[in-house]
Amino acid sequence: MKSIGLSNELASVVGEDGVLWRAEDLMLYEYDALSSMRQPDVVVFPRNTEQVVKIAKAALRHNLPLIARGAGTGLSGGSVATEGGILLVFSRMKKILEIDLENQRARVQPGVVNLDLSVAVADDGYYYAPDPSSQKACTIGGNVAENSGGPHTLAYGVTTNHVLALEVVLPSGEVIHTGASHWDRPGYDLTGLFVGSEGTLGVVTEITVRLSRKPEAVKTILAIYNQTEDATRTVAAITARGITPAALEMMDGFCLRAVEEATHAGYPMDCAAVLLIEVEGLKESVEEHADEIEAVCRENHAREVRRAKSAEERDLLWKGRKTAFGALGRITPNYYVQDGVIPRTRLPEMLEFISTLEKKYDLHIGNIFHAGDGNLHPLILYDERNRGQTARVILAAKDIITRCVDMGGSITGEHGVGLEKSDLMPLIFSENDLDLMRRIKNLFNPDGRLNPGKLLPTGKMCGELRGGLLGGGTA
Amino acid sequence: MTVALDSVRTELAALLGVAGVLTDRAACAAFAVDGIVPDFIATPSTAEHVASILAFANEHQLALIPCGSGTKLSTGNPPKRYDAALSLRKLNRLIHYEPADLTITVEAGMTFGEFQELVGRDGLWLPLDVRGGAQSSIGGIIAANAAGPLRQSFGGPRDMVLGLKIATTDGKIAKTGGRVVKNVAGYDLGKLLTGSFGTLGVIVEASLKLFTKPPARATYLIRAGTLEVARDLRGRIRCSPLDPLRLVVACSDAGVRLRDSAPDGGMSETDLWIEVSGSDRVTRRCEQELTNLSAAAGADLERVGKAEEVWDRIADPARWLQSKYPELSILKAALPPRASEEFLSRGRQQAESEQIGFAGFAQAGVGIVHACLLQQTLTPGTAGAVVKLRQAAEDLGGTLIIEHCPVALKSQIDVWGARGDDLDAMRKLKSAWDPLEILSPGRFVGGI
Repeated sequence: MKSIGLSNELASVVGEDGVLWRAEDLMLYEYDALSSMRQPDVVVFPRNTEQVVKIAKAALRHNLPLIARGAGTGLSGGSVATEGGILLVFSRMKKILEIDLENQRARVQPGVVNLDLSVAVADDGYYYAPDPSSQKACTIGGNVAENSGGPHTLAYGVTTNHVLALEVVLPSGEVIHTGASHWDRPGYDLTGLFVGSEGTLGVVTEITVRLSRKPEAVKTILAIYNQTEDATRTVAAITARGITPAALEMMDGFCLRAVEEATHAGYPMDCAAVLLIEVEGLKESVEEHADEIEAVCRENHAREVRRAKSAEERDLLWKGRKTAFGALGRITPNYYVQDGVIPRTRLPEMLEFISTLEKKYDLHIGNIFHAGDGNLHPLILYDERNRGQTARVILAAKDIITRCVDMGGSITGEHGVGLEKSDLMPLIFSENDLDLMRRIKNLFNPDGRLNPGKLLPTGKMCGELRGGLLGGGTA
Repeated sequence: MTVALDSVRTELAALLGVAGVLTDRAACAAFAVDGIVPDFIATPSTAEHVASILAFANEHQLALIPCGSGTKLSTGNPPKRYDAALSLRKLNRLIHYEPADLTITVEAGMTFGEFQELVGRDGLWLPLDVRGGAQSSIGGIIAANAAGPLRQSFGGPRDMVLGLKIATTDGKIAKTGGRVVKNVAGYDLGKLLTGSFGTLGVIVEASLKLFTKPPARATYLIRAGTLEVARDLRGRIRCSPLDPLRLVVACSDAGVRLRDSAPDGGMSETDLWIEVSGSDRVTRRCEQELTNLSAAAGADLERVGKAEEVWDRIADPARWLQSKYPELSILKAALPPRASEEFLSRGRQQAESEQIGFAGFAQAGVGIVHACLLQQTLTPGTAGAVVKLRQAAEDLGGTLIIEHCPVALKSQIDVWGARGDDLDAMRKLKSAWDPLEILSPGRFVGGI
C-alpha cells in the first residue's frame, strides 16, 4: 500500500502523531460541508512553513495531489481530495504570530479560527471584520482560499478587502511573500490573486490582515413582515435612502421557525419573513439611521419593528442567524444550500421565482440570505434516501443559478466554485475568460496537482452542477 | 519598429478609419512618455478595435502604451520601446447603470469628471480623490490603482472594481468578475489588472461599486505646529470614536499654498486636515470631539469652509506645484501608518540638508506619504536624497516609489525600488499574458 511508505516519509517531517493513514481515520476527511467525495491517501498536520515545504516536495516527488484544508466548513467542496493525495490540515498551525494595534494589523497562521482573532483583540476595541456564519469554527486560511464573506461584509467588504500580505508555498516547494504589512507594495497584486483562488495556486502558510476598530454604537433592528415581498422591497428602499447598514439579512418564516425552535432567540413564529438590520458608528448617526430605517420598514408594511435592547439580545438574534443552517438540520435529513448573487433590486422577483420552483419540483425551499448585497442562500430540503427527490433538488438548484445568471448576477457570492460549480463556470465566463484563468493556473500549478478538480471546468459535465455529489451529505 | 510607418498607417486606417490613426509629429509629441515621442497614436472607438490593434502590434512587435487622459503617465521607468500610444479617450460610453443597485459599467476612457457628474445626479459617487482629478480616466485610475486620502474610509479602486473587460495581446477580449457587489466565481483577475499600469492587458470596460454621497461634510484644520504634536493628535483621533472621511498631516517649510484665500497660504509648518461627514447633529458632535482633542494637545482648531480646493491640492500636488517648480519630484512612501510622521520628519531633514524645498502630505490613517521635492531645476544631489529617503521608508518597514519626477532623475534611479521574492512570479505572469512585451515594456517593477 503506497500510503504506508508515504506516511513514514511524512512522519519523518512532522512526527508520528502528525500523520493519519488508516482508512477509519481518513473517513473524517473525506467530506466538507458540501458533501462527501473520496478519501485522501494520507492526512498530515504540519506545524510550520518549513514542514509544509517538505510536504510539498514529497508530493512533488510522488506526483501526488496536494490539498490544503482548514476546518472543512466550506460549502462548495473546496477542501475535498477529489483524486486522493496528501491532505494538509492546518489545525496545528493556529498561532496568532503578531498583533500590532497601532498599525491595526495582525499576522496569523492559516489555522487560526476566524472568531479567535476577533476575541484576541476585543478588549482593546478591535475586531477582524469578515464574519462568515461559521466563524466559530472556520479558519482564516480557509477564508483566504474562498474569499469568504459574511453578514457584515455589506459595509466592510469581504476577506480580500482585509488581507494585506501572504506567505505562500508553491507546489514546487518554493516560498514566496506577496504584499506587505503596509499598503501599495510596488508590483502586481498577487495577494489579491491568491485570495479566493481556492487552494489551486499555492498553499498559504501565513496571513497579514487588517484589524478594524469597534464602533462607538451599534443598533440591531428586527423588522417583521406578513408578506415576503414587503421585506424584499424594504431592502431596495433602504439602499435607495442612501443608508448602508453594517448588515442587512433576511430570513423567511419557514427558516425562522426552525431557528427559533433551536435557539429561542425571540424570533416570531408566525410571520412570513424578517429583516435583521444593523447600523453602526457614532451614536448620533446610529440613532438617526435606525429611526430612518424603522420608518422605511413601516412604510413597507412591517408588522412590527423591534430594536435589541441589550448586547445579550443582539447576540441572541445573531446566534439565531448564524446557526440557522444547523437549525434546519433538526427538521430535514439533508439540505442543499445555493449561493447565487443577483442585483439587489431584483430580490422580490427572485423570491417569487423560487416559490414557483417549490411547486414545480414539489420541494421545500427556505431562504436565509444576505439581502443587502443580493447574495441568496436558498436551502433546498431533501432526504438523500429518496433518489427521485434528490434529482429534483439538482434541477431546482440549477434553475435558481440560471435565473441569477440571467439577471446579470453570479453563480457564487461567497461559498466558492470548488467542486460543486466548476462545470457551471461557462455559464458566466466565455472561453476567452476561462483561458486567461487557465494561464494563471498553469503558471503556478502547472501539473494540476494542487487541489485538482476545483474552480475551473473539468470539461466532463459542462454547464452542470455536480449533482452526483448530493446523496452522501447530511445537514 | 520592425514595420514601415506607412504600412502601419495604411493597415490601421483600414481598421480604425483615417481619424483613428495619427502620425503627425505635433500630435505624437503630446503623447511623449519620459521624453520619448511615439511614431503614431491609435484611437480606437470600440473594444474590438482595441483587441485588433493589440493583435496587430503583437504580430509586428510594436510597443504600445495604453493611456486614458495621460494624467498618470509620469509614473514608471522610461519605456524600453515605445512605438505607439493607444488612446482610449473615444471609449467613453456608459454601458449599464442601475442607481438603485449602486453599480455601474462604463468604458475605460470615460473621464472621472464625466463619471462623477453622471452618478452625482442620483446622489451617488465613486469616493476617490485621485491624481489627475476630473480629467483622469476611469481606466487610468484603475490601471494605477490611484487613490487619495478618502481611501481610509472607502478603500481604493482595488476595493471598488466589480469586474473588468480587457483586451489581451492575442487580440481577444475577456472579462473578469461581474456586475454584482459580491462575487467569488473564478480567479480575481481584476486585482491583478488594478495597479498593473497597463503592462498585462488593456482595460476597456469597468464595472464599479458606487456609494451614496454623504449629505453634508465639514473640514477642520488643526495647526499642530510640530510633527510630534501631529502624531500625538492623530493617535488620539485614532483611539476616539471618530471615523473621519479623510485625515492628512501636511507639513512644509517652503511656504506652499493650500489655500489661496488664506494669508499664509493656509499652511503652517505642520497641520492636520480632517474631514467628517453626517447630519448637523453628527458633525457638531465631531467638532466637539475634535475641539477637546486639540485642546488636550495644545493646538487650535479651525472649521474651514470651501475646503474642496485644499483637498484637491492634497490629492494631486503635481497639478498645482508643477508650474512653480518645473523639476518637481513627488515620492510616494507606503508605510505602516504609525511611521507616517517619522517619515515626514526624515524627509524634511533630508531635503533641508540638500537645500531642496519640501512639502509632505501624509494620509496617516493608511500610511501613504507624498513627499514633494520642490525644485525649479534638478540638483545633482537629488538622486542621493531620493536614495536616502527610500532607505528611510524601508527602515521604517515600508517602500518608496517615485510617482512623478523629471526624466533626468529616472536615468539615475529605479522608480519602483525594492523587489521581493515574488518578482519571479510577476515576471512569469507578464510573459504568460504579454510574451512579446508589447505593453508598456520596461516601465514597471523589475523591468517588466
